[in-house]
Amino acid sequence: MTVSTMRLTGVAAACALISTQALANDPTLTNPAISAVLDGYYQSADRPMTERVEGFGLGHTELALSANIDDMFYGKLTAIVEIHDGETELGLEEAFIQTLAMPGGFSIRAGRFLSDIGYLNNQHVHTDSFSDRPAAYRAFLGSHYFDDGVRLSYVAPTDLYWTMGVEAFKGDSMRAEDEHGERDFENLGVYTAFTKFGGDIGDNSSWQAGLSYLRNENGRMTAAEEHDHAEPEEHTDHGHDHSHSAQYTGENTYVADFVYKWAPSGNYKYQHLTVSGEYFRVTDFKPFEEHHEDEEHEEHGHGEGGKDYQEGWYLSSVYQFSPHWSAGLRYGEVDTQMMHGDHFDPQKLKETEVSLAWHHSHFSTVRLQYTNQKGTNFDGIEDDNVITLQYVMTLGAHGAHQF
Amino acid sequence: MVRTNSKLSLSKGLKALTLALTLGVANNAVAGLNIFACEPEYAALAKELAPDAKIYSATTALQDPHQVQARPSLIAKMRQADLAICAGADLEVGWLPMLQMKSANAKVRSTDQGLFFAAEQIETLDQLASVDRSMGDVHAKGNPHLHFDPVRMLDVAKALTAKMIVLDPDAKSEYEAALASFSKRWQAAIPNWQAKAKPLQGSKVIAYHSSFRYLFNWLGIEQVADLEPKPGIPPSSSHLASLLNRAKQGDVLAIVIASYQSERGADWLAERSKLPVLVLPMSVGGNDQSVDLFSLYDSAIDLLLSAKQ
Repeated sequence: MTVSTMRLTGVAAACALISTQALANDPTLTNPAISAVLDGYYQSADRPMTERVEGFGLGHTELALSANIDDMFYGKLTAIVEIHDGETELGLEEAFIQTLAMPGGFSIRAGRFLSDIGYLNNQHVHTDSFSDRPAAYRAFLGSHYFDDGVRLSYVAPTDLYWTMGVEAFKGDSMRAEDEHGERDFENLGVYTAFTKFGGDIGDNSSWQAGLSYLRNENGRMTAAEEHDHAEPEEHTDHGHDHSHSAQYTGENTYVADFVYKWAPSGNYKYQHLTVSGEYFRVTDFKPFEEHHEDEEHEEHGHGEGGKDYQEGWYLSSVYQFSPHWSAGLRYGEVDTQMMHGDHFDPQKLKETEVSLAWHHSHFSTVRLQYTNQKGTNFDGIEDDNVITLQYVMTLGAHGAHQF
Repeated sequence: MVRTNSKLSLSKGLKALTLALTLGVANNAVAGLNIFACEPEYAALAKELAPDAKIYSATTALQDPHQVQARPSLIAKMRQADLAICAGADLEVGWLPMLQMKSANAKVRSTDQGLFFAAEQIETLDQLASVDRSMGDVHAKGNPHLHFDPVRMLDVAKALTAKMIVLDPDAKSEYEAALASFSKRWQAAIPNWQAKAKPLQGSKVIAYHSSFRYLFNWLGIEQVADLEPKPGIPPSSSHLASLLNRAKQGDVLAIVIASYQSERGADWLAERSKLPVLVLPMSVGGNDQSVDLFSLYDSAIDLLLSAKQ
């Protein structure tokens, strides 16, 4: 995936495609919709579990191509270009097909796609109001969880919006850390189930609430061996891990999410408010302690390290007070557990973020963000202040946004 | 199309039914089409042409149809629709494809079936050979706000009736009767509106966006300037200052904005130029007077005339 000559050809091909598309009269029907997202930033310090680094950098630069394949299938390809340690990497975030004409409100999506668990996960990061996903997303889903798999969804024929779905994924990026590379992981690692409800409250407000469950067959950690006790932890490298992998995993993840949007008379052009929040609980991550089974009163997975769950949540509020300006406030926490040999140490990260964005048009955003991160035993973070100046701009086809 | 058996037996008495309908007798016995209208003007048109249909409008005249959230309630409504009627010409490009994707309703996925774009039935104004974003949020397919052109709307009504007959052939004569009734009343209204709006011919206005492009085109009004510096870009102070210079030439009748547009820029300009601000209903429900397509046209013309006095 990391061939620079391939990258150049890819970009050249994309440019050619874009110019042809501009000449086409009817891009929405007969030609693929092609769009690119440009994301660049300056950040004053490193943040844990993110791909953004201190100083200047490029964020989530993506190139997307989508179209109805025929009357039965829709297809979408999203390539992301990332620079990491001077290397240009080309990755695929989405490469999926979806049925368009199944009866009864059913649809199937297959390939590589964003899981539909939680509220933010299936949204593209360039539509976010903050430079990075909340800490809970970065800790438990690797910022945003996309994978190779299949989804079956159903929308009920009711006036109250009600959808539900199940997914199965390969789950490679959700595997628990395997320091010795000796573990036999399940090839079909992740299963999810989700449901969402939503509706309007008068003309001014809309809401959606959801519940999701993620089963991760490979989420439980393996017991560290006796001689590993003094080994330095790999966790110190978290801030620069580039693999999109979840940093903290467990066998079972439960997510509750809600979003509420308000606009005067339901007119989103001038002012609108979005309030959203999510809660994550990741359980059953402690290794089975097979050696200690004879010891009295010790249950599986509940060593002296305390609770066998990790959790995280955030609450976000974004107000667009004019077509050109919006401001956001977000607070989030994660409580995680880090394995140190045969015991677990609790970690905590609290993030308070304020963002101010200027939108020259619907397609261009320049954002200034202040983040205060307070950590307890978390990657050496104590009380850091981070300033991020970022632009996010889209060009090409006007993509439709999700609620 | 899902039709019940009772509907089939009812079709035997279709003649009587049609008679009842043309006589204006309320009839709720027929379960008609479930119609999802993207904008209220098409909900109003559907109401004229399919009186028995269950009609839902995704937006109101106080909401900018360019910027609509693909919200859960709309997905739920589209999930149940037999027919979706939208302006088209990419007006709904930011939300309709998402609704179609999320509602998983094969019936309203393509224009071969239960999807209807008004702009595809007529020749739109201001089509562009090439489009660049530096021109603002413009669409190659032309101006989609076509519902203020009575002749084009009649063509749309005819095409929509044909579409409804394809989807619901059992009620063919009902749709034909409704179209005949609407056409007759609409064609009678057109010369009345034109006579009433005669004094407006040749007037110059400053307006917000190209929202009333078709109305001005029809009535012979010239939009000499736009409150938006570029389509989709809200009025800026430097742009407003240039508009003030234009207004000072003294030939402008009024500043015209639509019911979903902010009055701030218009008020700023009005205060300094002493021009009146007219808030025209963008669609049915845009003011108290606009309860259907007929009163919508009346109200828009009356408001424009009010600036003449």
